[in-house]
Amino acid sequence: MSELRFEAVRHAELAYVNAAFNAGTHVVVGSEGDGTSTLIAITTGMFEPAAGRVRLDGVAPWSHAATRRRIASSCASEVLLPARDVAAAIALALRARGEVRSGKGVLDDAGLAHFAAKRVSALTPRETRAIALSLALSHREPALLALHDPLSLVGIVQEDFVTRTLRERSDAGAIVLCTARRMEDAARLGGEASAIERGTWIAPAYAQPPLGAVTLRVHTPEPRRLAARLSEAPDISGVEWAGGHELLVHGSELERVAHSVVANARAEVIRITALKADAPTLEALAAARAALARAYYERSAATGSATRPS
Amino acid sequence: MNGVITGLALARERLRGNAPPIILSLGTLMLGAIGRLERQSDAGSAPDDVLSGAAFGIAIPLLAYLVSERACDGKRLDHSVDGVARYGTNRRAALVGVLLASALSSAIGGALLAIGALFGAHAPHSTTLLSDLRASVGIALIAGAVYALFFGATSLFGKRGGGRKWALIIDFVFGAGSSTLAMPWPRGHVRNLLGGAPIADLSQTSAWLALALIGFACVALSVARTPE
Repeated sequence: MSELRFEAVRHAELAYVNAAFNAGTHVVVGSEGDGTSTLIAITTGMFEPAAGRVRLDGVAPWSHAATRRRIASSCASEVLLPARDVAAAIALALRARGEVRSGKGVLDDAGLAHFAAKRVSALTPRETRAIALSLALSHREPALLALHDPLSLVGIVQEDFVTRTLRERSDAGAIVLCTARRMEDAARLGGEASAIERGTWIAPAYAQPPLGAVTLRVHTPEPRRLAARLSEAPDISGVEWAGGHELLVHGSELERVAHSVVANARAEVIRITALKADAPTLEALAAARAALARAYYERSAATGSATRPS
Repeated sequence: MNGVITGLALARERLRGNAPPIILSLGTLMLGAIGRLERQSDAGSAPDDVLSGAAFGIAIPLLAYLVSERACDGKRLDHSVDGVARYGTNRRAALVGVLLASALSSAIGGALLAIGALFGAHAPHSTTLLSDLRASVGIALIAGAVYALFFGATSLFGKRGGGRKWALIIDFVFGAGSSTLAMPWPRGHVRNLLGGAPIADLSQTSAWLALALIGFACVALSVARTPE
């Protein structure tokens, strides 16, 4: 079975990606700014990552032509090979892949035959991406299909053609790695969803809501007495006092923690001079966003399967 | 082999268009005009002057530079084949194809430029025209091809292939001399073949070999510096 592995990869927007994918469909939710386009580009073997390694079945596609031949890809920004027209550009790409087929046949299968005689320079960027997608989906036995936001091209390419082909390749044992900017697209693509946030990979298993992530800074003239009282309060997970007039109060929900601090101070007649919430860490925010995305995804997937006509 | 053919096809598509034949035609006409002017000033030395000066000194290196730049799509030689390497073509094989296409185009272009220069420099019924053509076309073919390989290989230096520009300048500066400093550059050997001052007293046969060696070294260097 094929395996795609990212080992401590850093490149452009990608701050740190350490992940492995086996056969089946995998959707990475995130924007281009988060690094989804770079993730797909380095997967294709067009670039060598600035740090870390990308390996398909233990081999780096960057330096191994036979491995690249088993990869079908469509990137965020595409440039077709130079040729008289689109069909000839596809024929050249097929020759580069070692296939003897007509470019027109590939376009026909994707319902894009009307582009065949068009000049490559006359295509819009979106049309160029759609043609690159049709070329990627035409690969008969890929070990890896790496596609950037394929459903954003629906309108030029039929959604049914894309999802059906991806399902067939996935069932045949290929790794299908897609990115999606929208949760709805991730749900329509199916498979396992994960996220990428500001270049940091968040695997599904870790994309859980953070617990005990809220910290409140409480300034009071009587910190020792307030700390003693708060240490028994149910909504407070911890209290830190390092001397001085400031207490760090930890909990899981900001409103509950604040309410508890005020109620306990009132009960003990302790004056509070300032109350300030600490900004959460970037990691905590990223994890929270990924958890939210995953929750939306699971809900829409469940709704989709419940309402799908039999 | 498929990779080399793919590289050839890629370079052919890049070299296609109206600009290359127009530039080549204008260059040939211009050299013809320069040859004619040389003939009017001194008919005896006109062929030698136009060949060693305008044709082989300026026009052929510039043509090979432009061909290499266009065949590589203005990029480094290794990056110029990324488009086909993505689909599984071996980069090394593809770049050999690109080098072959640019060498062939430069050789043919160089020969046409030399022919244009000689037709201008010789009187219409000159008895030496044919023998000059025979000798010069052969030198132009190898000079064009070697220059194209040279510029292709040197484009591997620099982030965006800036080595190609430096190679053109270095060839002009160092290749103009006759010391051993001129040995690695094509200019001095081409001059030797045309009957000019040899580099380090090399014979003309050695100059042919030196040019062939430079061409071969350029291909070997390009292959060695590029990942599969």
